Order: sequence, then structure tokens, then C-alpha cells
Amino acid sequence: MERNAQHAFDAEEVMAYLDGELEARRAAALAAHLVGCSECQEVAQGFRALSERMLSFEVEHPSAGMNETVLAALESAKASSGNTAKAAAAPRAWQWRDFVVHPRAWAFVGAVVVVAILAVGIPSSRHVDEVANSRARSEKSNGYKSWLSKDGTSLEHPEDFADVKRPADPLPASRGAIPVFSDRALPSGPPPPVPSSDGEELKAPESVGPMIVQTASLNILATNYDEASAAIERLAAAHGGYVEKLDAKAQTGNARELTAALRIPTRQLDGFLADVRKLGHVEEETRSNEEVSDQYVDLQARLKSARATEQRLIELLGTRTGKLQDVLEAERELARVRGEIEAMQGQSAILVHRVNYATVQVDLSEEYRQVLGSGPSSTGTKIRNAAVEGFTSLEAGAVALVVFVFAVGPSLLFWLAILLVPGWFVWKRFRVRAQG
Amino acid sequence: MRRCKCEVKGAHPAKAGWPRQRQSQQQELGLEAVRVFFMNSDDQLILEFQHGAREAFVELFERYREPMYGFFRRRLDYPARAEELAQECFLALLQNVERYEPRASFRSYLYGIAIHLVAAERRKAGREVAENEKLDSRAVGGNAAENNDAGIWVRKALQHLEQSEREILMLREYEQLSYGEIAAVLRMPVNTVRSRLFRARSALKNQLMPVKD
Repeated sequence: MERNAQHAFDAEEVMAYLDGELEARRAAALAAHLVGCSECQEVAQGFRALSERMLSFEVEHPSAGMNETVLAALESAKASSGNTAKAAAAPRAWQWRDFVVHPRAWAFVGAVVVVAILAVGIPSSRHVDEVANSRARSEKSNGYKSWLSKDGTSLEHPEDFADVKRPADPLPASRGAIPVFSDRALPSGPPPPVPSSDGEELKAPESVGPMIVQTASLNILATNYDEASAAIERLAAAHGGYVEKLDAKAQTGNARELTAALRIPTRQLDGFLADVRKLGHVEEETRSNEEVSDQYVDLQARLKSARATEQRLIELLGTRTGKLQDVLEAERELARVRGEIEAMQGQSAILVHRVNYATVQVDLSEEYRQVLGSGPSSTGTKIRNAAVEGFTSLEAGAVALVVFVFAVGPSLLFWLAILLVPGWFVWKRFRVRAQG
Repeated sequence: MRRCKCEVKGAHPAKAGWPRQRQSQQQELGLEAVRVFFMNSDDQLILEFQHGAREAFVELFERYREPMYGFFRRRLDYPARAEELAQECFLALLQNVERYEPRASFRSYLYGIAIHLVAAERRKAGREVAENEKLDSRAVGGNAAENNDAGIWVRKALQHLEQSEREILMLREYEQLSYGEIAAVLRMPVNTVRSRLFRARSALKNQLMPVKD
């Protein structure tokens, strides 16, 4: 549309004039101008021709069905609520876009996500805190304990405390220190049949021959566990022995176990073992002998010389007179020697007891039977148990799934909302633009 | 099928306020309707309907039934869908009549709804159209068989225009909206409407020139 630069009206104004959109004064001027200006007439003619041309793009009439629908909607609107035409509208099918576009929906989703995160997050963090606290507490108490034990082991092991004190006792009782030393390994139970007088017992082994400490260990698979476990104690008592330690385990679904440490008189040992073997199938049996004769002889020799020293000191104090200082020194020496004698007597007694009472370790275990396998209705039971197991695993699986959903769901939902939805929007818009 | 041939009335096509089918409708309507028609503008009618006058809506529907259908028919490929959307447009008018405020002219309000519906429809169909342009052109060709040859050319030429320019041109030429009404419908300044309309007409003229010659 080439126009003269000096022309008073440009083509756009001519167009606006033809559209009736030009300001009145300007329109009048253009109308006057048009009469004499062939160029502008040509432009105007071009626009008119275009408008006419465009009208060739015709459309058919709408069908009568449209009238019916709209007027029916109008009628129903009137019928339902007088002036209110609102209800007349045909309910539009619910669309996802309604939800996606609505800002309130997003606020709601956001709130739900936040609440879910808080609901899932806070209890678990609390739990973590609790665990950490309890751990810290236990560590603290442990630290306290270790600090205590550093300062004095006596609190943890009162017996040790007694041991430490014992030598300070200037005049120990003659009944011996055996309970003090040997009882350490015995948590409870009947007191061991300890010889009442040292003299007899200490001399006896010398005449018998070599001193041997015997230990035996038995692993027995009991055919009848209940009977066998009861029999062990009974057998020990019958053979003049006693139970030093007994540990029974009965875990569900596992074979029961019994571990017993027994002290049996050496002479009775063979008979006792023979009786114990009858309780079930012996899977393992070990015996060991330790010769302690030299230890004993050495101890006796030292004891003898200490006693001689003691005797001489007593004589010395009784017969000689001298300075008070010398007398006091002799008394101190006598006390020291007596302490030594006491300690050696104790060791000797223990040794004798070990020789006289053999240690027998019995591990009794139950012959484990599959509970389901046995019984007359084994197939039915099997099926039932399988069903129970299946249900249990189903339950566990469902719980695991729920746990997973709660653990991962909120973050998954959050990132979906953050990343996918805006991305989808952008993509959609891009497609629409590309198409438009 | 009857043709709705709308003739051009000189250099000044009908000004804002009356649809172009006015004269033909006058002949079809009875005397009473003619009286109502002349006594009431669109804006008065919608206010009357707001106050419960059912006839006012019927009158508005009669006035805009064909223009509305034409509006959708020229912008969509399928006549049935155009009819559905025209219905939907009137239903939306019914639904929201209570919220209607006479800020702009009734026509800009009505065509505002229509523009919104078309945009929603295009968004919905956008994917299919973008996926297969061939299908789209085939559909256009199929529909254009109902039109005359010149109509096909116009339709094709219009498709080559930039979207907002095409919309402005069509609202001006087919819906006979004033610059102010177009500005209200499309929410843009009147000057922008005028300059874009000029650009659109110039471009269309260039497109149709070889055919014309």
C-alpha cells in the first residue's frame, strides 16, 4: 500500500473512517478529502473489497436442537429458583483442569503435604531423640561405672574387697580361708561339703599317692529332656557331689538346653559319669587330668618351715627376756609368719578340694523335633501352618508397604508437585503456542 | 442447508449495538417481537432478564443465536462442536446472569465468554492439532467443501495471519464489533486494536491478491 508521504491521511485512518471509528472532525475532513483524492479512493476501495471478499466465508445455520437445549435450560432455571438462573446450567463434567488451575486446590495440596511431613517427621525425630538420650544416659552411667571401677574395684567385686582386707587381719581364725576363696566361683547353692579340720584332709592325700585334679565334659542329646534335666541334680547328690552352676535355656522354637557345672567326689566320678551317659546319646565326652602333686608338696614344705619358724618365735618369746623393742619385733615377726601359714593353708585346702572333687561339665540338649512334622494330621497341620505363615508374611508386607509409603510418600509427592506439574504446564503452554 | 449470506451495507457496516441479521430477523419475527426489539437494546434486555424477565433472555437468544453459532463455526472445524459451544455460551450466560455488571457493552461480555470458550477448546484440542497438522488441514478441506471457492481462500488466508491479528479482524468483520468492544473483549488498548487490525487487513489483502487478480 504505497502512500504519498505528503498525504494528509494515511491508510490506517482511511480504514478507521470506513469502520466508523474515526473522530467526527477528522472523519468529516477525510470524507471531503476522499471526494477529490483518487489515491485515497483506491485505498478505501481496497478495504471495501476485502470486507466483501471476507464475507464469502459463510457458515450454515445452526440446527433447531440448539434452541431447544438453551430454552429448556432457561425453563428449568425458572422452575427451580425463580429469578435464579444459576441452577439452570447443565452441570459441566468435572475436569482435572478445574483442580489443577485452582489456586485453592494448590494451597490445600501444599497444606496436606506439610501436615504429612510434620506428622511423619516429628514423631520419628522424637523417637531418634529418645534413642539418642537413652544412649547418652547409658553411656553416662557406664562412664560412671568405669570411673568407679578405676577408683576402686571393690564396689564391683565385693569379694575382692574382702580379700584385700583379709591379710590385714592380725589373727585369722583357724577354721581356714577356704570359703572366702573357693566361694567366689559359687554364686549360690548348697555349701560344698568342706572338710571340717585341716589336719586330716591335708594329710590324707599324701598317703594316697599322686594328687590329680580331674575334669570331665559331656555333651548329651537327651531323649527325654525333662527327665534328664531333673536327673542330673539328683545323680550329683546321690554320688555325694553338688551343683556348682546350672544354666537352662528354653527358647521357643528351639531345642532346650541345659548347662551344668558339677563337683563330684573323685572316687565317685566314674560311677556318676556312667549314670549320666544313660540319660541320652553322648555326642562328645572329654576327660582331662592335671597333676598337682608338686604344687602340693611344695606348699606343704613351705608350710612346715613356716610352722617351725612360728614355733621357734613362740619359744623365743616365752623363754628369753630382753628389751621391749626386741619383744615387739618378735611379736610382729610372729604375726607375719602366722599370716603366711594361714594363706598357705588356704591354698592347700583349695588344692585338696580340687583333687577330691572332680569338675564335671554337662551340656544337655533336647533332641529337637519339628512340631509341625509330628502328629497324626501332619498334612492338615502343614497346610494350616502354611496359611498362617502366608497371612503373617502378607501382613508384614502390607505393613512394610505402608511404612514405605509414609516414609517416601511425602517427599515423592512434594517433588512431584514441585517438578512435574509446573513442567507439565510449561509444556502444555509451549504446545499451544507452537500450535497457535 | 440454508445459507446465511450477510451482505455488506456500504462503506459503513452496521455500527456497534445491532447484529447484522437485524433486517432478516425483523421480517421473521411477529409485530410484537419487532416492538420489543426496537424498544430494548441488548444492555437493557440483559438487565431485564436479571430482574426475572424470561422473555428478555429469549429475545437475546434470538438475536445472538446465529451470530454466536457463526462465531464458533468460523473458528472450529466441526459444526456439531460449534453448536455445542454456542449452547454452552448461552448456558454460561444463564448461569452467571446474577453476577453480570453493565461495565462494558453486553456484546463484549457475551463475546468475552465466547472467546474464553474457544480458547479452552483450543487448549483441549491443541495437542491433537499440534501432533498432526495434516489431519487438521484435511479437516479444514472437508469442511470447506460446504463453502464456496472464495470462502476456502479466505479461510486459508486467515489461517496464515498471526493469531491475535486474526482474532481482531474476525471480530471486526464477522461479529461487527467496534474497536472499543474488541478492546474490551481481548483486554487491550483501542489503539493497539486499530493498528493490529490495519496490519491484519494489509496482510490478508496481500494474501488474497493473486486470487483477486
